Amino acid sequence: MLKTLKGGIQACVQDLGRSGYRHLGVSQAGVLDPLAMQYANTLLHNPEYTSVIEITVGLCQFEFLLDTNFSITGADLGAKLNGQNLDSNWRYAVKAGDILSFSSSKDGLRAYLAVQGGFQLDAVLNSYSTDLQAGFGGLAGHQLKDGDVLSYESFPPLSKVGAALPKYNNRIRVLEGPHCELIGSSKLQTFIAQQWQVLPQSNRMGVRLEGEQDLSHTQSIPSQAVMPGIIQLPPNGKPIILGNDCQTTGGYPIIAQVIEADLRHLSQLVAGQSCTFELVTREEAKQATELQAKHLAQLKIAINNNDKNTK
Amino acid sequence: MTNNKTYILGERALVIEIAQSTLTPQQQNKLFALHTWMREQKVFIDIVPAKTTITGYLMHSQDPEFWLEQMQVAWENIEPQEFKPTTHEIITHYGGQYGPDLEEVAQLLTLSAAQVIELHSSCTYQVKFLGFLPGFAYLGDLDKQLQLPRLASPRTHVPKGSVAIAEDLTAIYPSESPGGWRLIGHTSTNLFDHQLDTPSIFQPGDIVKFIPSKESAC
Repeated sequence: MLKTLKGGIQACVQDLGRSGYRHLGVSQAGVLDPLAMQYANTLLHNPEYTSVIEITVGLCQFEFLLDTNFSITGADLGAKLNGQNLDSNWRYAVKAGDILSFSSSKDGLRAYLAVQGGFQLDAVLNSYSTDLQAGFGGLAGHQLKDGDVLSYESFPPLSKVGAALPKYNNRIRVLEGPHCELIGSSKLQTFIAQQWQVLPQSNRMGVRLEGEQDLSHTQSIPSQAVMPGIIQLPPNGKPIILGNDCQTTGGYPIIAQVIEADLRHLSQLVAGQSCTFELVTREEAKQATELQAKHLAQLKIAINNNDKNTK
Repeated sequence: MTNNKTYILGERALVIEIAQSTLTPQQQNKLFALHTWMREQKVFIDIVPAKTTITGYLMHSQDPEFWLEQMQVAWENIEPQEFKPTTHEIITHYGGQYGPDLEEVAQLLTLSAAQVIELHSSCTYQVKFLGFLPGFAYLGDLDKQLQLPRLASPRTHVPKGSVAIAEDLTAIYPSESPGGWRLIGHTSTNLFDHQLDTPSIFQPGDIVKFIPSKESAC
């Protein structure tokens, strides 16, 4: 079992999210950085979709109550095992009583903690993801609090091994949105040309941005289905990039859509950091997704070979 | 033929948009019939009807152009009467503790509380779409005589089961949440249960009728 000694700012159980219930108003939820999550699982021979703990900011502490192996991926949030520094994107063996703690970082926002075999939880609507707004999924529908305990199975120690997670980037690739004509075609050019600052009100529901050029307008659209990565432009001209906990429908014009492969970069943007956008084609978006799938497939082969040779 | 627009949103969301501010009942039912057709294709992981659009999320990003064209063809050929909605009766306690805005609504509309209840419960509504919260159904159309804007400052806590109105819509809060709609009543019917395979009693296109409880303030 994994005991939460300190819940920190936000740590919650997530998998790849919920699907099939959007028409009933159920959000997707799920990890904001799917590649980091899949790396964490692959390092431990878990199926890629196994649920993990998503740690935002850090400042949390866990105690392993059984021997096992774990991995941490994503941003380096200053993880320590019994006070010893750990590297991000590595797996480690632990003994019962070992303490894993996270501080925080100025350069990254989210880390993923996976245990071999995954956590033993009940699925809600076919997913283990915590829906923080609706209050279901994960562990009783809430973020991990001091004293919470997650069950896992014990495993014999594996050798220490690391992976090279592709670097994070604050240049985000986007596709043109459907309402650029409605809000005035020059808005998209202005949006692409300038640098944007991430506002502190950003969270799992969305990343809020502020820039120098005025993008305000007076248009609204009839509420339509929205999804993570959609960039809404409300009349105040401050873009909102929707996150995994976003509502299923929205009535603000959509200026652009972040490509699926670059959603991971958004998950690591800290308030005050800046980002820019680059317009790409659907074909380029597809290639970027394929490239990530290739990285993941290569990692799987490498881990399997590594563990075959060390046994 | 209706004037519509189709496009790919992002890498794999396909959208049909009927270019009108509101849909006629025929168009609305055609949209729900299309929803059924899209479910039968088994290529979408999610299909979301909204006010004047329907969006399908493809399982993979392969061939979105092909499926967009299929949707367009299906839309042209589908008949509104192919859609068969389920009807729900919702026992509602109007006014009092759980309908705290009923008196003010009546005053603003220069009606009596009894007339507001009568107008609200005498017609049937259709679930236009769900959103905002799991199981939150946008029910239309509200009688013209009952239409008011949302509250200027939203409440931080609206109790679960509150029956509310705003603009040309009415709704029931499936869970406690913040909200800016005007609360005129309450129902003890449970609308959403995440433990069930069919978690929401309301599906897009369903018909809803409010039945005033005996205790309603008249």
